[in-house]
Amino acid sequence: MTLARRSGEILIGILPIAAIVALWHAIAASGIAPAAILPPPFAVFTRLAQQFGNPQFLGNAGITLFRLFAGFSIALVVGVGLGLAATGSRTVESLVKPLVRVLAPLPKVALYPAMVLILGFDDASKIALVAADAVFPILLATYQGTSAVEPKLVWSARAAGTSQRAVLFKIVLMAALPSVLTGCRIGLIISCIVVFLAEMITSTDGLGYLLVRAGRNFQTVDMFVPLISISILGLALNAAFNMLRAFLLRGFPEEH
Amino acid sequence: MTTRLPAIPGLPPLLACAGLLAAWELAARFFDISGLPPAHEALRELPVILTDPESLLNILASIKRMIVGFAFALAFAIPVGLMMGRSRFTAAFFNPLLMIIYPVPKAALMPVIMLWLGVGDASKTLVIFLGVSLPVIYHAYQGARAVEEKMLWSAAAMGMDARARLMRIVLPAALPEIMVGIRTGLVLALITMVTSEMIARQQGVGDILFNAMAMAQYDTVYATIVIIGILGFVIDAAFELLRGRMVAWAEPVHEIAVGTT
Repeated sequence: MTLARRSGEILIGILPIAAIVALWHAIAASGIAPAAILPPPFAVFTRLAQQFGNPQFLGNAGITLFRLFAGFSIALVVGVGLGLAATGSRTVESLVKPLVRVLAPLPKVALYPAMVLILGFDDASKIALVAADAVFPILLATYQGTSAVEPKLVWSARAAGTSQRAVLFKIVLMAALPSVLTGCRIGLIISCIVVFLAEMITSTDGLGYLLVRAGRNFQTVDMFVPLISISILGLALNAAFNMLRAFLLRGFPEEH
Repeated sequence: MTTRLPAIPGLPPLLACAGLLAAWELAARFFDISGLPPAHEALRELPVILTDPESLLNILASIKRMIVGFAFALAFAIPVGLMMGRSRFTAAFFNPLLMIIYPVPKAALMPVIMLWLGVGDASKTLVIFLGVSLPVIYHAYQGARAVEEKMLWSAAAMGMDARARLMRIVLPAALPEIMVGIRTGLVLALITMVTSEMIARQQGVGDILFNAMAMAQYDTVYATIVIIGILGFVIDAAFELLRGRMVAWAEPVHEIAVGTT
């Protein structure tokens, strides 16, 4: 794709976003909707910029990030581990497959009350929910990726004297890396969404709580700030992940 | 491959369910905490909830919202996704907008939407609509993009106009991929339904859950979770059956059917 065409497409893409902000501004300015219901975009973005320098706000964002990464890390270890084990052993496969079939379509957020009852209202229940939601895409992608690895790769490695276990980590996991990373990216975005929801449902801190608290106090401007923050956070995580992915997959043939 | 047992479809998931229940029962007895009642006590609550007219009405109201939001989402998302797949301009127009919306939890919009539309059905249905639309748009887009150009050229050469090409060539060709998106959307509809009710505690399944929790009726909490789980599994399995019939001609698509909220 040429650069001119690419920048043209970016311009077209900015259009609807600009149009929405303009419409938002027009409605707010015309007075159809009072500021208590729809604050003007300028007020929201000023507030957002202010909050990025506010240590209390940043502290809440930090708590959210901590829960997000703690849950995601658990999901990563469990998901990749089980996915790999299911490919490596038929016994594990016959155990994991039906369990996934039953548990994957279950809305994990419905389990949240149970997690709160067992693990308490603090970080642990939120981290558990994030892990439970993020683990399935990672597990499925790892399993699908590793079970589709070219058998010849495995045979050659075995013929060259690599042990069965080493083959699983050095050959199968590496060859399936693109698929594993796709699962991880889905898992990461899910973590981002779920941690926010968990904080909205029961919490005393974090970005999700800020939204609920602002809603209770009818501080409409402050309701938009966490929403925009979580969108920015998701985009930033996605961009960072893409860079990591490009680095990890530097030897692989280009996709798309 | 050696199969010792005759393969009975549906048996492994059933065994998995039994295993999960057994693990739950054992864990409850072993840890003995009030927050985790044994499985048999929670399951005893199931018929009580399902015969109580008020709970039943709540559950049906939830399902109704889910169906309405889901239907509107399909009617909106499939055409948009197909057009994005066939026109570079449309794709460039919508892509950045969708990228921004994607990481925002749709159920998190509840407090804002409630300001505008109130706490009633409209807000919750709108949130479900938003949640379902994104994956369906994405998969319809991917499906339409992958349609064989030659088929479209032949159709155009035979005098088919653009609209007919979209309906009669692109739609069927993209159907397997769209079905994957719909499956994700179904899971999402259920998730968004429960979450939106947990946030706006007015009525519905999510409300039953937290009411029971507030009143320390832990058996009811767990029984409700089981009901939601069964609902999720039945919807998913029924859709897989339907999908198998509708796109039996297509290669099975390996896709991760796990949704985001």
